[in-house]
This record gives sequence, C-alpha cells and structure tokens, in this order.
Amino acid sequence: MDSSIRSLADLIRRRMAGAGRLATTVIPAGVLLAAASVLSPVPVRADETCMSPFMPKITGQEDYVYVWTLGVEGLGDGFDKLVTVDVRPGSPTYGQVISSVSVGGRNEAHHGGFTDDRRYFWASGLDTSRIFIFDIHTDPGKPRLERTIDDFVQATGGVVGPHGAYALPGRMLMSGLSNVKDEGGRTALVEYTNDGKFLATHWMPTAEDPRGAQIEQVADGYGYDQRVLPRKNVMLTSSFTGKANYMMDFGKLVQDPEAMKRFGQTVVLWNFHERQPRKVFHVPGAPLEIRWAWGPDHNYAFTTTALTSKIWLIHEDAGGEWHADPVADIGNPADIPLPVDISLSADDKTLFVDTFMDGKVRVFDVADPHAPKQIHEQKIGAQVNMVSQSWDGKRVYFTTSLLANWDKKGADDEQFIKGYDWDGRELHHRFTIDFKERQLGRAHIMRLGADSLYTN
Amino acid sequence: MPRHPDVVLPLLFGAAMAFLAGGQGAVAGPAHDHGHGSPPAQSARPPGFDYDPPEPGSYRLPPLGEAADGEALDETGAERRLHGLMAGRIAVLSFIYTRCTDICPLGTALMRDLHEAAAADPALTPILRLITMSFDPDHDTPEVMALQAQSLRTGDEADWSFLTARDKGSLGEILAAYGQRVLANPAPDDTGGPLAHQLRVYLIDRSGKIRNIYSLDFLDPRLVLADIRTLALKESAGQ
Repeated sequence: MDSSIRSLADLIRRRMAGAGRLATTVIPAGVLLAAASVLSPVPVRADETCMSPFMPKITGQEDYVYVWTLGVEGLGDGFDKLVTVDVRPGSPTYGQVISSVSVGGRNEAHHGGFTDDRRYFWASGLDTSRIFIFDIHTDPGKPRLERTIDDFVQATGGVVGPHGAYALPGRMLMSGLSNVKDEGGRTALVEYTNDGKFLATHWMPTAEDPRGAQIEQVADGYGYDQRVLPRKNVMLTSSFTGKANYMMDFGKLVQDPEAMKRFGQTVVLWNFHERQPRKVFHVPGAPLEIRWAWGPDHNYAFTTTALTSKIWLIHEDAGGEWHADPVADIGNPADIPLPVDISLSADDKTLFVDTFMDGKVRVFDVADPHAPKQIHEQKIGAQVNMVSQSWDGKRVYFTTSLLANWDKKGADDEQFIKGYDWDGRELHHRFTIDFKERQLGRAHIMRLGADSLYTN
Repeated sequence: MPRHPDVVLPLLFGAAMAFLAGGQGAVAGPAHDHGHGSPPAQSARPPGFDYDPPEPGSYRLPPLGEAADGEALDETGAERRLHGLMAGRIAVLSFIYTRCTDICPLGTALMRDLHEAAAADPALTPILRLITMSFDPDHDTPEVMALQAQSLRTGDEADWSFLTARDKGSLGEILAAYGQRVLANPAPDDTGGPLAHQLRVYLIDRSGKIRNIYSLDFLDPRLVLADIRTLALKESAGQ
C-alpha cells in the first residue's frame, strides 16, 4: 500500500471512529459515506456489455473507441473533446487517435451514451450541466458535434449534473447528480426525446417524500446510475454525491468532515413503466455502477461501493421479493482501493472491477453471483477508472480520469487509454495512447463504434 | 482487416432471449390459444414478461412529438394518408416487412393480441385503430398485404389496416419522420431476412401525438393495453 492510500485509509478509519459515537444504527451508513467521500471516484458505465439493451450491439470486432475527454487548461486547446481511437486490427492507424472534436469549453466532461438507434452520442458535463449531442452515424470515424442542450437546469426544474445517458426506445433517460437549490446529492431522473425535447423529471424518493416506496433504513434522494430490466418491469438507481462535493478539490474534501458525510447510501428499486419507486435498499458506501445480468432467467444485478470496497448483489428471491446483499470484498477494504467502474461479461460469468487508488483491475468469477471469486489481478497504471469490454469478451479497454479535481497529482496523474486482449486468464497489452503527450486531456468514458452499424 | 464487424440489432437480448428460452414468442401464450371473440388472458404473464401490468391511469405518458403524416397504399391498392387513418382514434402503428422471420413476427403477434383484445372489449373497439405498414414495397405489394390481413384478422369488429408504400421515396420520408431505421442486412446468409432494422411500435393519441414507443423488450400486450386505456382515461377526463 503506498503512502497516499495509507493516509486516506487512516483518515477514513478516523472518520468512522468518530461517526460511531453518533448512533449504532447509523454507523454503517453515515460513516461509510463519510469515508466514501474521500475516494469515491466517478466511474463510467462504458462498454458494449454494459450499455442499454435497447440498441444494436457490436458482437464482433469493433472499429473505434470513442473517449469523452476532459479538457485541461494549457493542454492543447484546453477544451473537452470527443476523441476517436482506431482499433481496427491491421489498420495503419491501429491504436492511434484519428479524430478529435472539441466542444469549445470545459464542462467537467463525464458520462455519456448512445441513443437507441446508436446514431447519436449524448455526452454530459457535470459542472455546467450542458449536454452535447454528437452525430456518430454520418462518419463513424469522425464524429461531429450536432447540438448542445444548454437549459438542462431550467427545463428539469432544478436538476444539476446530468450524468449517465441511458437509451430507451425513442428517448434518453438521464440521471442527475445534484440540484440547484443546495448543490447537494438530492437529484432526479430526467427524460428527453432522442431529438433533445425535455419530457419529464422524476425526483428520487426521500424520507420526506418516499412516493410510496418502502424504505429499509434511509432514503437519501441521491442518484448516480440507472438500469432497466424490462422483463421484470423494474429499474435500479444508485447514489453518489452532489456538486458541492464532486467539484471540490480532493484534498480539501478529505479534510471536510461535513462534506464527507454527504455520500449516497441507497439503491432504489423502481416499477419502471410507472416510474414509481418501490423499495429503497440500504447500501452504504456510495454504490455506483449497476449491471444487470444478461441471462433470461438471471434476475439479479451487481453494484460496487466505492468507499466500502464491496460487491453487492441485488436479487429477486423465489417468492418475488428483492434484496440487496454484500457478496464479496474488493481487495482489502481497509486499504480503500476505491472500486470505480465495473464490467460484466455477456455470459454473466466474469466481472471486471477497476480500483482507482492502486490502479488495478481485479477480475472475479461471478458464475455463482452469491459468491464471487477473484481470479486475476493486474496493475494498469498509477490510476485507473473506466473499463470497457467487447461483447465477445476478447478485448478490454481502460481509461484513467475520475474528476478533474479528484485525479492524482504530479507524475501519478497519468492519463491514457490502454487496450488489452483477454484470454480468459490474463490481459495482454496491445496499445497505449498517452492523452497528456497527445495534448488531449483526461480520458474518461469509452464507447465502442463500428462502420457497419450505419452501412446500407 | 475485418471491415464489417458483426453487429446485431436489438433482437438478441431481453425479450428475445426469453423468447428463445421459453420457446414461444414474447407475446405468445394464452392470448394465442383462443379463437375469435375470446378476450386475451390479460392476467396471464406472457413468456418473457414476468410482472403484473401497471394499473391504467396510474402513470403519465408525456407526448414525445407529432406523429408524421405520409402517403401509403392500403391492401386494396387505394391511396391512404396516415393522418386520415389515425384521425379521431388512438392508433398503434407497427412497421414490419413480411419476409422477416425473426423480430417482425413478434411485432405482428403483438398487433394480433391487441386486435383480439379490441374485438372483445366494447370500450376499445370504437376507439382503437391498428396500422401495420411494410417498409419493403418491392416485395410487400398491396396483394401481399391483403394476404397478411386475411391470415391475421379475426373478424370485422376491430379495425386493423395493412399498408405498404407506393415507392421508396415516399417510404423514406415516413421512416425518417418516425426514426425507423432500415438497412440492407450486412449478413447475406442471415436467415432472418434481407433487411436489418430495429423493431419499433408507436402509440399515437387521438390528437396525433406519439405517446410511447415500444421495442422488442416491451412487446407485452398487457403493457400496451394499459397504455391505451391510460390514454382513454386521460382523454375522457379531459387531460
């Protein structure tokens, strides 16, 4: 464990010790949350197996990896940009950047996703609450910015920080991270049509306004990821933190005990069609990415908690009741490795888990979802956030950035995309693109592209 | 260098996987087992859809946009306007082509279930219009669509129109307006048919606004009927 990790772990333990004096029933939640604030990174759901199920899939070799990249002042033009990487085997530009389109500003570029027809890529900025819509289909090797949604906060009634963009038939379901009133974690889901018309805002359930939901312990109203399982008519949402925290300097945040208490500790089960919250699970430690299993009778999803370093299983029992249970540790939770992005293979057997602080990927056998077993561990870099795998599970890509103010400093602030082959046991390095050397910025969410999606 | 990676329109997953696992269509089941005039068993869960349907009127269906007009040919070869067919009714519009052997039959099965439900429910019969339109006019002539109608309609009580396009120009305008993608199938040996497309079914209110869009994962007749009844309830309440 390096010194930076050790100091964070110590700090979290101290916070937890202090919080423990409050009330035993609150300890797991409030404490871990507080701890979480130290680290919780903002991963992205980013790969072919992790996208909305309502869109065409690339089941063979992908042609491109699109990387939504945070601008860095003094680095190139300094603006956020969508970077296109050629990953066509045999191409003379394999493993190289072949396109970069800037949006003319810095917005805390973060998550994004395709529309259900996969023709457009929606990419959001957590700071400015702007949404950028890129045309992918006209020239998949050279996306272009088609339009920008600038009135997200006003249109949605005060939601701040558009986050994940999840495709539904003819519409996009966005999760917010915050609100304009106090820039805390209370937020909402927002719906748009594919052409950018605002449709509806659905606020997360809270203790004051549970909206009919059963509450296990707390209802914080926070948001992060949103995933639908249509054959059960259910949706899950997870919880992170608000703008006041995610825009704060990381070192300052760690030293602010009040700020460190403001992290999500819930996963909400919704009746999807009605957009009706049904049950608020207590999942302490900032549950981030949600991945439903793909199998037709696999009624479960995984999430990981950034601050408590656990894999959680949300599952339905034989009686139709839903539960959330911790099923495995990720590394040594006491070290606060900070699990961020996860990627579940298309056969539901393998779960990749990135941990930001130690820059590692850990691979779990999750064939028995109640008992994940780690089968591989490899260091990717000084820091790592996103992991994306191809549908066939043969190729895996990694990027580095969490948030502009949370990434590591100095030489450890590596910014790259790395491509690997996965043989079922080990990763084999194929290419690296240094995003600093290329004057691009901080590499964040990835999405895969293919010419044949649009060829007639 | 593989220039044509395998791509799959969203037929593989969700309901389709359940369909394959269950050995039946996503909208098959009891609703297909009864004859003309018998109401579909709405309380039964069709394979692939394991939930109780929502209560009509308990949720909102915000307008997604205007349903586009366009010129088409009906099964007799007569010219029809989409807006003319939709006027004054709640409409369900499904784009298909008859040579499709994978996902279009699932969309058509949904329409047949809705047709049976409308025939069996006096409250639905006069307010619902079903429209099946082909995007393969070279093959799906009015005569072919007439055969489709003959094989699928279970009576005259409930309305179900079968359309095709006069030509690819008029078809292209309609498909573009509805965001219905159709490409040549990049896999020539694919037994699913010569075209690659997303399956989309549109729910349109009496004023011509799209109120929901269903892909393969949502082709549950109980769900669509709940939406139709929700619109009817809201309209009767003046909302």
